[in-house]
Amino acid sequence: MSKSNLDLSRRRLILGALQGTGVLLLSGCEKMFNSLQGNKKFLSLLESGENATQSVQRLLTGKHKLAKEFTPQDISRTFKANGNSPPIATDYIADAARQWTSWRLEVGGLVKQPTRFSLGELRSLPSRSQITRHDCVEGWSAIAKWKGVPLAEIARRAQPTSDAKYVVFHCMDTDDDGSNYYESLDMVDANHPQTILAYEMNDRALPVEHGAPLRLRVETQLGYKHAKYIQKIEFVAGFKNIQKGKGGYWEDQGYEWYAGI
Amino acid sequence: MEPLVYRHNRVTRLTHWINTIALTILFMSGLQIFNAFPHLHWGSKAEPEEALVSISATNRHGDVRGYIEFLGHRIDTTGLLGVQLTESGPTARAFPSWITIPGYFWLAGGRRWHFFFGWLFAINGLLYFVYNLLNGHMRKFLFTPRDAAKVPAMMLYYLHLRRESPQDGEYNPLQKMAYTSVFVILTPLVLFSGMAMSPQLDVAFNWLPAMFGGRQSARSVHFILAFGFASFTFGHIFMVLATGMLNNMRSMVTGWYREKVPSHKEPPRAPAPSKLKLEEPPPAEEKRQPVSETTNSAVVQPPNPVTAKPETTDEKTPIGTATNTSTEEGKEAQQDVEK
Repeated sequence: MSKSNLDLSRRRLILGALQGTGVLLLSGCEKMFNSLQGNKKFLSLLESGENATQSVQRLLTGKHKLAKEFTPQDISRTFKANGNSPPIATDYIADAARQWTSWRLEVGGLVKQPTRFSLGELRSLPSRSQITRHDCVEGWSAIAKWKGVPLAEIARRAQPTSDAKYVVFHCMDTDDDGSNYYESLDMVDANHPQTILAYEMNDRALPVEHGAPLRLRVETQLGYKHAKYIQKIEFVAGFKNIQKGKGGYWEDQGYEWYAGI
Repeated sequence: MEPLVYRHNRVTRLTHWINTIALTILFMSGLQIFNAFPHLHWGSKAEPEEALVSISATNRHGDVRGYIEFLGHRIDTTGLLGVQLTESGPTARAFPSWITIPGYFWLAGGRRWHFFFGWLFAINGLLYFVYNLLNGHMRKFLFTPRDAAKVPAMMLYYLHLRRESPQDGEYNPLQKMAYTSVFVILTPLVLFSGMAMSPQLDVAFNWLPAMFGGRQSARSVHFILAFGFASFTFGHIFMVLATGMLNNMRSMVTGWYREKVPSHKEPPRAPAPSKLKLEEPPPAEEKRQPVSETTNSAVVQPPNPVTAKPETTDEKTPIGTATNTSTEEGKEAQQDVEK
């Protein structure tokens, strides 16, 4: 009797010790990983992977290969509208009530022809329709039909100077702290044939939760690059001086500027 | 004392340990990424009501319960998955903080780790593959139809239902099957399914998501393969512990492995009587044929020493496999130094 008790207590002791070691090890690991995550030098080492990914993926892709286009049967029943809530500014609500007749897309920056487009003018430009898959950085995908004007058409009219290296999209939606959403593309993605400024989703005017009146579709990139509620397009040489300088709202929070994976 | 033999070349050892780190971090940062959308789907898109697997939590008047739902069947997993007790009370979280990188919920951070170590894993794996393919080492554990025929016998041997091991090289048939499937199935599929989730690569290669049945299928396959790697790793570690941890660790750190020739049972000087017996009947002769083939080809290629496995210390010593070729091992060591 005493022997089995002893065995039992010894087993408990060993198991307890093992468990303790395990917990210590795991919490130690957790602390180590977390502190490494906070270390600027280590972080920039990790971030070097992004450059490798970008160069290799771009090398493999070429400039004019298209993302897969789906059939109307593939369109998602549910398409989540992530991101900020729709803009609550009175201007936005008033513009929406007037069917965007007083809204204008401003195109400027390093261009020879700064221009303003009404929604009607954008609709009269050459358009492209595509049924494509939207891939969120979180992991989900949804399919919808989009119609809009290719960004390349806008660029052709605005005539960016040779200094222009990026296109920045300034948006009307803000986060809880009041920071405006913004995004940027380089000229490779900006000139991709499937990169469009969409004003229609699934054959209807772009719904408010999906970025009315105008949103970006850039099918080579993850969802957070697809800026919604666009107000202004700016051609720039760099984006260091825009907001926190990383080229986009989520980029400023640590996400990759290159969102090809 | 048994001789030390040089078993693992320096490239194998280096890539092995880099791989250990890379796989651990890929697994843990992968779970962090999974936590951002803790559902698995099939096909191209993720309709919310069509999830195959969901790890989530319910909150009924402050009573937070974690669960995993598999094809409509819900299992309570409170304390393990779906919910974690934190300083601010129970928090919905698919995989708990101690198994994710970083430990707090941060998708962007998890992605940074995952892609950096993904590159490391791929380059490291390529280095191992090319080096050991060229020096002929990989052939030693290539699983062939001949090995497949021996799998039942090997299983019986492990289950102590068979006296003799069917092993005739450095690796037994089950080892070959495990290692070969890591190279031929797990690794290529985990890389392809990972790349299939990239919208940019999907533009370059439309067939990438298609080979899995869509991007969401690729994501599910990627997740399942991660657990395939985890189970292989646990099995691998178990075998390392079970067959002499210190000796195995030494060979993976220094390259040198102490051969365990069970001299008390089977003096290496004299041929084992049972081996002689094996040579006499014609059917056994046929069986031996491929063995000598491997030995012959090993002379041309870097040496293929038919060494005794750690299992040979077992009472049920496989007979006729303990050909000690320490001179050839020495050659391999020398060769490695030259490189």
